[in-house]
Amino acid sequence: MTEEPTLHQNEQPVIAVDGLLPPDVVDILIVGAGASGAVVAWRLAQAGFSVVCLEQGRWVDPALYPTRDRNWEVLGRHEWNWDPNKRAAPVDYPVNDSESEITPLMFSAVGGSTIHWTAHAPRFHPSDFRVKTLDEVADDWPFTYDDLDPYYDLNDMMMGCAGISGDPAMPPRSPRPMPPLPLGEDGRHMAAAFERLGWHWWPSDNYVNSMPYGGREACNYCGPLGFGCTRKAKSSTDVNYWPEAIRLGAVLKTYSRVSEITVGNDGRATGAHYFDRAGNVHHQAARSVVMAGNGVGTPRLLLMSKSDAHPDGLINSTGLVGKNLMFHPYSITTGLIPGLSKTWKGPMGNILMSQEFYETDLRRDFVRGYAYQLNRGSGPLTTALGGAHEPVSWGGGHHEDFSERFGHNVILAGIGEDLPEEHNTVTLDERLTDSNGLPAPRINYRLCENSKRLLDHSVKSATQVLEEAGATRIMANPLLRSGGWHLMGTARMGEDPERSVVDGWCQAHDADNVFIVDGSVFVTAGAVNPTPTLQAIALRAADYIAHERDDLKG
Amino acid sequence: MPTADRQLTSVDRVVLKRVMDLVIPPDGDFPGAGGLGLAEQLERSSQRYGRLRSGLLSVLDAMSLDIASRIEGGFAALDEERQIAALKTVETNLPAQFGEFVELVYGNYYTDSRVHERIGWVGRPPQPEGFDLEPWDPAVLENMRKREPFWRQVG
Repeated sequence: MTEEPTLHQNEQPVIAVDGLLPPDVVDILIVGAGASGAVVAWRLAQAGFSVVCLEQGRWVDPALYPTRDRNWEVLGRHEWNWDPNKRAAPVDYPVNDSESEITPLMFSAVGGSTIHWTAHAPRFHPSDFRVKTLDEVADDWPFTYDDLDPYYDLNDMMMGCAGISGDPAMPPRSPRPMPPLPLGEDGRHMAAAFERLGWHWWPSDNYVNSMPYGGREACNYCGPLGFGCTRKAKSSTDVNYWPEAIRLGAVLKTYSRVSEITVGNDGRATGAHYFDRAGNVHHQAARSVVMAGNGVGTPRLLLMSKSDAHPDGLINSTGLVGKNLMFHPYSITTGLIPGLSKTWKGPMGNILMSQEFYETDLRRDFVRGYAYQLNRGSGPLTTALGGAHEPVSWGGGHHEDFSERFGHNVILAGIGEDLPEEHNTVTLDERLTDSNGLPAPRINYRLCENSKRLLDHSVKSATQVLEEAGATRIMANPLLRSGGWHLMGTARMGEDPERSVVDGWCQAHDADNVFIVDGSVFVTAGAVNPTPTLQAIALRAADYIAHERDDLKG
Repeated sequence: MPTADRQLTSVDRVVLKRVMDLVIPPDGDFPGAGGLGLAEQLERSSQRYGRLRSGLLSVLDAMSLDIASRIEGGFAALDEERQIAALKTVETNLPAQFGEFVELVYGNYYTDSRVHERIGWVGRPPQPEGFDLEPWDPAVLENMRKREPFWRQVG
């Protein structure tokens, strides 16, 4: 373990501005420069709107990601941890998650959580948008899979999707711009086991370059995608959407933490107050505000933005802001397969997926379903510390335990569909604050019975396929607590203003110049990673603004 | 709870080296974590991460309070069986701190190049070289392509 700090600690301007100086009143003010904020900035700058984005984090130089450091695994547990409470950088806000069965994960930077994601890029199924109609739970979405399909395609081109058509678990779709990533020895081995059971598998769609694409290099299969990609082979919005958006005239201000969305007497948004790095408060005036701060950050800021017109928080006349929080609950089942020897070789996440148990099957004791993601082993330290399981035992059995795991472990992550429940919430903590003294979010979240049964099923089925693959030892974690990568549902969309916060175009029912484009608007969660869907929704919302809201252009 | 600025004594360092060898013992002719000379490095690296430092100090303090150790004239004077028993008592009574201490020991042992060579790890960071994988082979989908579509139709 080295002792030298390896994070980029150079002094930065108080506010770093990329792009031309904006006008005093901009057309579009975006809060958050992550997966969806970047999308909207690009699309609306392209359409001729003046765009400013305020981002509390910084640009991260890909050359400084820890995978070039001998202590990359140590740095990944601390400075580059996915959990903001463990990272505890000044640009992060803390989260009170003591009353949550799952801890939320996020990253404050240009690119947001696409910096540390593993870039798995599956789409929702058509049934995911019709849950109420099909299964009499939750609600239907205000649009269909077909409505979103062209935006999925556009996003796949911008992000760079590696994958292949013909998956029998999904509707036919346009070709991806790149072929899939190689399966590797472990992927082929597990694919054969799925086939022997007659179960579905398919190579994962990934936003990782399987060949040079978009001016970025091909993946060299180093492994730990989750710590950032020094080659930019893994897609993140700081290396694709943002450079294009800035070239088109969008302005991005980093180290700019929004404290309040301001409103006029008519209750419409007028801009935002924000702190710069030195703690000075500024105001950015705008004709409209687009919230893109993730499913925790967005409701937090809405709840902080109280006014006479919005006494319970901005656009919160229904009281639904912050409610219906959904994660994707994960089970982790790891098999140790002596016939495999170097399962740390290759991208760690999402080699292949199985959607055998994705759709509702009334013979089971739960509705909706789950998918499997096949993940790889990792480096020596991560293996020793157990990952999602107990650490390698200390003492006399240590070396035997370690040898049994290292290089032989394959991991089946069962990603389950969560259901929206109003008692799962994001609220403002009464004591905990961020570095500017703003209230931290507090998470109250309990797993529902349906999810518990679904996860139990996922462990049993994973055990079956791992045994089929020759695993001599299987370790199961029925609920990964530190698995809150996906933050959804806290400002849900819908056509009924009494039961939703925004409409199908992401426009707030309570203020027609406020939009939300992150995972907050999800009505249901599906059982796949949400980013392609939320980016497609953001593109669709941006097209709506571009074509239908000329009044927002100065 | 030990104070963050507490420094290790010479006795602490003797105990630490021995405890490290109990946590990760020698493997055949290959030394354990203490025998590899990682105690000094562990002490330095603990300065960087407060949570782990706290674990280290808590475990050392607990060991110094162990009754058997005090009767026998110190932890080092106990036989191995009783040393392990003392360590297990600390694990039971201070599980969080003991876990942090183990993380610190593992963190130093499994980032050591000698250990990497021993376990067959490449002994370098993942980048910039990366690894090789056999190219994508579309033939692997031959069977799956025969399956009828089974996604749920929506009216």
